Amino acid sequence: MSTDPRDSRRRSVLKTFVGGVAALLGGSLAGVLGAFALPPRGREHERWLRASLLDRLTPGEPFTAVVSVPRDQGWYRERGQDVVFLIWDGVADVRALSATCTHLGCRVRWARQVGRFVCPCHGGEYDATGEVVAGPPPRGLVPVEAKIDPDSGAVMVRL
Amino acid sequence: MTRRVPDWLDERSGYRTGLRHLLDESLPPGTGWWFTLGSVLLFLLTVQLATGAFLTLYYAPTPDHAYASVRFITEDVTLGWLVRGLHYFGASFIVVFAGVHLLRVVAFGSYKRPRELTWLSGVAMLLVILAFALTGYLLPWDQRAYWATVVTINIARSAPLAGELAASILRGGAEIGALTLSRWYAVHVVLLPGVLVLLVTGHLFLMRRHGISGPIAERPGPRPLFYPEQAARDLVVILGAAAVLLALAWRGVPPLERMADPTDASYVPRPEWYFLSLFQLLKYFPGPLEPLAAHVVPALAVLALVLLPWLDRGAARDPRRRPIVMGGVGVGVLAVAVLTALGWRDRPPARDPGLLTPREIAGQVWLEAAGCATCHGNGSVAGELGRAPLSRPPFWLAAHVADPEVIAPGVREAPVVNEREIEAIVAWVRRLADGDPIPEPPARDRPGALVFARFCVGCHTIDGDGGDDGPNLSRVGATREREWLRRWITNPRDVDPDANMPAFGRQLSAEQIDTIAAYLASRR
Repeated sequence: MSTDPRDSRRRSVLKTFVGGVAALLGGSLAGVLGAFALPPRGREHERWLRASLLDRLTPGEPFTAVVSVPRDQGWYRERGQDVVFLIWDGVADVRALSATCTHLGCRVRWARQVGRFVCPCHGGEYDATGEVVAGPPPRGLVPVEAKIDPDSGAVMVRL
Repeated sequence: MTRRVPDWLDERSGYRTGLRHLLDESLPPGTGWWFTLGSVLLFLLTVQLATGAFLTLYYAPTPDHAYASVRFITEDVTLGWLVRGLHYFGASFIVVFAGVHLLRVVAFGSYKRPRELTWLSGVAMLLVILAFALTGYLLPWDQRAYWATVVTINIARSAPLAGELAASILRGGAEIGALTLSRWYAVHVVLLPGVLVLLVTGHLFLMRRHGISGPIAERPGPRPLFYPEQAARDLVVILGAAAVLLALAWRGVPPLERMADPTDASYVPRPEWYFLSLFQLLKYFPGPLEPLAAHVVPALAVLALVLLPWLDRGAARDPRRRPIVMGGVGVGVLAVAVLTALGWRDRPPARDPGLLTPREIAGQVWLEAAGCATCHGNGSVAGELGRAPLSRPPFWLAAHVADPEVIAPGVREAPVVNEREIEAIVAWVRRLADGDPIPEPPARDRPGALVFARFCVGCHTIDGDGGDDGPNLSRVGATREREWLRRWITNPRDVDPDANMPAFGRQLSAEQIDTIAAYLASRR
């Protein structure tokens, strides 16, 4: 090995160059691929979906509606199902509640005999307006926007 | 304090010794720029491996989702277009650099004893790279991919003796479809990378064992170490290659045609440029001679490469003293170059993206009339118009237009459409799915296009779309007057007693005949 100071300076410049370029290339590739791996923005948008016909609802009595919900998962399009309760005031107003328990996400059902929504998992109970009356749920059932389509008489919910 | 972690690591792993062994490779004096090509290839292979691994995050190897997932990667994933571009153009770079590396080894006589095995592992890697290219080509599942694979498999089938067996192994089933795609995918992303990593490791091991061959004429002087001087040369060339690759991936979009359609009889498949020479060669060996071009010539070329170290066993490395090898390789390179150029020139004309065919124009009108937008709108129940052709073949689309109930029960009544309208609506929706900017056709073309797409398109072609029983009418206005066309369409036998075309005087109203005659006369 030569000990000429000019040669050693040259070697240290080259070493810096090698290290710098290797870091640049590796870093850029890692950066691009890291961004690529981030979950892409979905094309998901909220839609008004048909939940039921108004004819099938009884005033004051929650009606369990199974709504077919299109879900875009990237290139894959799926039809999922969501359950909502429709509550008609008998005139022109329909309210809708999500059927998902606010405690741990189980599906609540309408128990007509007791007039309450009952969660099968941990005994949460809600009254007919969705307010918590018993058990562990921290909040009432989540309201869902609902409207009546005057042309078709269909109850539409926004999911 | 700052040394404690590395010291701790070194004590347990010995990484400093390993790194020193890697970097302090002793090189022959005069090793220069020609010996950077292997490192460039190593870099490019790393990029392919990394981008390929990440592409599998989104890619789905099934016929009904492969194409849509590739479109999704290109259009929706962050930097997806760039990652796919790097992978696509990176493949071409590897073929180019592998070729140049091979020519360097031949020119410098580096394959000679004791490096025969290094050479053989290199030839094997070249074949693996071509296998990568071939299998990767199918994965986007577009027209190009599908039809090129049809040709590839038929070539394999034409091989003597085991052709049928080879073709069935390549297909994975009775026809090209789901089993073929998943099989080629597995080979492309699991088997070949494994084989390649083994070969690269072996190649590098042998390279270190024998040392690199160095300049043709041995030079006196001290032996330099790989790091930092040769490493810096490597990185200069790598940086250059990376910059060009990035520029290509940045500017050029890898082609993605329409989704594979096995029923399309009009598609002319073409291979990737590095297979163009073989593609062109086939054209000169028609009929029974075809296996000569498809199998014998390529097999002989590979055999010559494999046997090279034993065909040329002399000690001389100077190319001037090896005229037969250099001449043979020169002729081979020239032949590949000429055939590639000829194959390139022979390409079919591309479709003019600024044109809408009459069928597409009519489809736009009929789609509106059929009320498809009620369900297919931004945010509506059904998917956006123009998304379905990404995952559905044309016959599915046609069935859906004819009766949406079949696909989405209870949604709406079937629109009243006839067969020609369905075809036109499907043509328009597929055009929407292409994702290119849609030109605005002149309003005066619309009524004529409607009549044409309804009554004429079965037998006549305009702008590349339609039947071929009757003459192509794309430029009919250049030779026929409006009045002549009106008389002809009303009853061709009034004009020419031997005419074949049926009379339309009863099927069409006088107004419709006038419209179509005016439209055709305007096509010059």
